[in-house]
Amino acid sequence: MNDPGKPISRAYDEIVPATASELARLLEKNSSGERRPLLPVGGRTALGFGFPIARESLEVSLGRLDQVLDFPARDMTVTVEAGCRMGILQEQLRQEGQRLPIDIPMAHRATAGGVVACNPGGPRRFGFGTMRDYVIGIGAVTAGGQPFRAGGRVVKNVAGYDLCKLLVGSGGSLAVISEVTFKLKPVAAASALGWACFDQGAMVNDLLTDMSTSQARSVAIELLGPKAARQISAESRQQLPEGPLLVGVGLEGSRAEVDWQAEVVERELRAGGANNVVWKEEAAAVAMWSALTEFQVGAESAVTFRASLRPSRTVEFMTAAIDAGVAVQAHLGNGVVHGHLPDDTLDVGRACSIIKSLRAVAVSGGGQVLIERCEPGWQPELDLWGTARGDWELMAALKKELDPGELLSPGRGIDGARASARPIETNEVGVGG
Amino acid sequence: MGKSNDTSAGTGGISGELIRRFQAIVGDDAVLSATDELLVYECDGYVVEKKLPDVVLFPGSTDQVVEIVLACNEFDVPFVPRGAGTSLAGGCLPVGGGVMITLTRMKEILEVNLQDRFAVVEPGLVNLHLTQHLAGTGFHYAPDPSSQGACTIGGNVATNSGGPHTLKYGVTVNHVLGLEVVMPDGRLVELGGATEGLAGYDLTGLFVGSEGTFGICTKVMVRLTRDPVAYRTMLGIFETVGDATRAISSIIGEGIIPAALEMMDQGIVEAVEAAYGFGFPLDAAAVLLMEVDGLEVAVDEEARRIVEICDQAGAREVRRAETQEERQLLWKCRKQAFGAIGRLSPSYCTQDGVVPRTKLPEILEFITAAGERHGVRIVNVFHAGDGNIHPILLFDERDKEQIARVFSASDEILGKCIDLGGSVTGEHGIGVEKISFMDRLFSSDDLEVMGRVRAAFNPKGRCSPAKMLPVAGACGMEHIERSHPGKQAAP
Ligand SMILES: Cc1cc2nc3c(=O)[nH]c(=O)nc-3n(C[C@H](O)[C@H](O)[C@H](O)COP(=O)(O)OP(=O)(O)OC[C@H]3O[C@@H](n4cnc5c(N)ncnc54)[C@H](O)[C@@H]3O)c2cc1C
Repeated sequence: MNDPGKPISRAYDEIVPATASELARLLEKNSSGERRPLLPVGGRTALGFGFPIARESLEVSLGRLDQVLDFPARDMTVTVEAGCRMGILQEQLRQEGQRLPIDIPMAHRATAGGVVACNPGGPRRFGFGTMRDYVIGIGAVTAGGQPFRAGGRVVKNVAGYDLCKLLVGSGGSLAVISEVTFKLKPVAAASALGWACFDQGAMVNDLLTDMSTSQARSVAIELLGPKAARQISAESRQQLPEGPLLVGVGLEGSRAEVDWQAEVVERELRAGGANNVVWKEEAAAVAMWSALTEFQVGAESAVTFRASLRPSRTVEFMTAAIDAGVAVQAHLGNGVVHGHLPDDTLDVGRACSIIKSLRAVAVSGGGQVLIERCEPGWQPELDLWGTARGDWELMAALKKELDPGELLSPGRGIDGARASARPIETNEVGVGG
Repeated sequence: MGKSNDTSAGTGGISGELIRRFQAIVGDDAVLSATDELLVYECDGYVVEKKLPDVVLFPGSTDQVVEIVLACNEFDVPFVPRGAGTSLAGGCLPVGGGVMITLTRMKEILEVNLQDRFAVVEPGLVNLHLTQHLAGTGFHYAPDPSSQGACTIGGNVATNSGGPHTLKYGVTVNHVLGLEVVMPDGRLVELGGATEGLAGYDLTGLFVGSEGTFGICTKVMVRLTRDPVAYRTMLGIFETVGDATRAISSIIGEGIIPAALEMMDQGIVEAVEAAYGFGFPLDAAAVLLMEVDGLEVAVDEEARRIVEICDQAGAREVRRAETQEERQLLWKCRKQAFGAIGRLSPSYCTQDGVVPRTKLPEILEFITAAGERHGVRIVNVFHAGDGNIHPILLFDERDKEQIARVFSASDEILGKCIDLGGSVTGEHGIGVEKISFMDRLFSSDDLEVMGRVRAAFNPKGRCSPAKMLPVAGACGMEHIERSHPGKQAAP
């Protein structure tokens, strides 16, 4: 199994700078000397992200750059070093009644730099958006050892190019992130999740349409297939209704807001055909949010993928995946699906055939299927990101500008995707599509 | 538009052959090249620097934009995109002349998809027209710059515009899902798209705010936002600016994020009152326009807490907009405040600094002092909740000595914003106006890396040269001289 916690590097040497300038010096020395490929390492929770090539990589650990540099709580921003653990950070923020409202798997281990580079998200992306909406300042070092910053520490700022956006999700392939400033939100006083089963995809689609004009403002709309529902129920130790399609609606806010919305949502779920609505609140809600976040990294399956779909085409995709035995969770309001291929996916041929059929469904609705993890050696056949898109050339040009020697996380991201992709088909997805 | 086939065309750089090529691409009626017709395009909302483009084109389709850009490359002339020209930073200034590509004829709403909550529009669409088009659907387009009645969505994308309600809902970049872009070499690319979480770098996010220097955006896919169920709109009236700014800092400090939190000082209130007669008190030093929105069950409690904080900060009074008409009038006064400034002064220059929100009292005191020091009248109307100040410096354009004092006062104010941990622009952009601040805000390494990012999009530097980064154009564009008298000409 390719355990995301297992170091990819075969050469087990590591460099561990204690300051950002030490980091810059190390990178400079490497690029003007040995020129070894580098893999930035934070909490080791996503080393397999984007399939970096293992050859002779030197790991650059950000573990000692772990400080919270500045937390002016009354400005609702925080600046941290890249190696700062997200769990520790969230705890400090909570003491001031604030949070970074992004669901982060393995948050106790994941670091700020790692989560910015890998851009994870969870159920509450429906209500709160994603990492790109919260990173307002960044410090990083290029492969050549040039330290740079973009953005700043104020919540609104358009001075200079927004390199924060470029580095969010860049997987350490453009620069090594050394420092991040986040904008924050207040914690919610109360939260609740309502669960109900539906027999048919059409019912869920109708429900989604109705809920798009709901008086309630849910922060999450989840859809689980039976396998995923069992896993999430076990992980959270919460009994959930059983049925072919399980819908969960998440609410947050003041007590009064949550209570009022729960009534609205319950009415809507019942009107949509649910016989029973089960509510999880307080500690049970906390356990559920966590299980819904961890699912994407939780299974030891042969292949884990993420699909990016239009919300209106997501149920169709989910149905196809469930029929193929895949354990699937959808952030339905956003059209983002996490899937683990069935346990009996013993060879790459079978994996390819499942992925191929799901890709066909995704692409027909303007979507995409991206392989997140797989058995070692399967990636060339699996087509990491599917068919090439028109903007990949530009991505490669950016990579070339910032890391001309291809020293950073080689193979990860655009390079790996290009290496495995089929040639471009025009108008597959995109604006106006 | 007059026919302009004569050879007095433009101010030099462009050959008759190229003009004829343009006429073949867009048609005669979409080409302006006679000097008198070009005058309107010598500047945008930033009136301090002026430069005539050699020719102004009004393409009607993406294909035409592609052909124009290809021709510019072939003839080696610079080009600059323009929307409505409301930029307050000189973003549309055709530094070094060349071709101005104005997108206002490309203004269709191509698709509205309520189920998946997005719309696809052409870049020349006026911001407000999208929201008007969506009225009654329960959805709107959230970024609402005060200039929304005039500015275009393409211009908003290029400048990453904000507005009063972006405090809670986020600025333009938080609402753009995908773009179609004609690259500076004429290639057409699609960035991002209707589905969230696509693999690869966030080129859409990077493009937003690139101020026309990464290419010309020809289609925008925007996210649509649910209309709030309920609002409460309030007007806080304060005896001193200090009390008002302390109230703002406390509201945010208490973890309340209102939908909007705007401040107007006495100077601006006078002008607005003269224009709209809302009934603002003329003797108050500052008023705060505050709006909370959300669920009916929640807005009263949030409004109550805000009133309490204002009282503690020493507000004379907090009024509520009791009817929808009152609310709309309040917002009209705010959004058209700039229009009312004409009553105070022939010309004005709006600055756009940002400070951490707890530093608002300090920066406002500094602004008052700077105005006094330099003998410049300054009034303030701004997005207070974001810490985004807009001191408006009043002057007479014909008086060079006054202009010099306006520059000195502006520079001091923006310098102070940097010292307080802020930025020199929250939403208007760097353009040409604030280019001299870039090396105070950023190190040479920062700027060099930004230059490399630009080179990936715009390697020859032909697209909107001499903007954003304080280097003269990019490779190949060294022959472009800086425009005229403006302040960058000064060291
Ligand atoms: C009275 C007044 C109030 C204002 N209030 C606000 C406010 O509240 N918030 C705010 O953020 N701004 C505000 N502004 C500034 C201005 O309105 C915004 O910057 C707006 O986004 C500019 O839009 P535009 O269509 O006028 O663009 P233009 O001024 O025409 O162009 C602005 C920049 O965008 C580039 N550009 C234009 N179209 C394209 C395109 N299709 N592709 C690529 N680049 C392009 C231009 O080259 C230029 O650099 C205000 C301005 C005025 C005059």
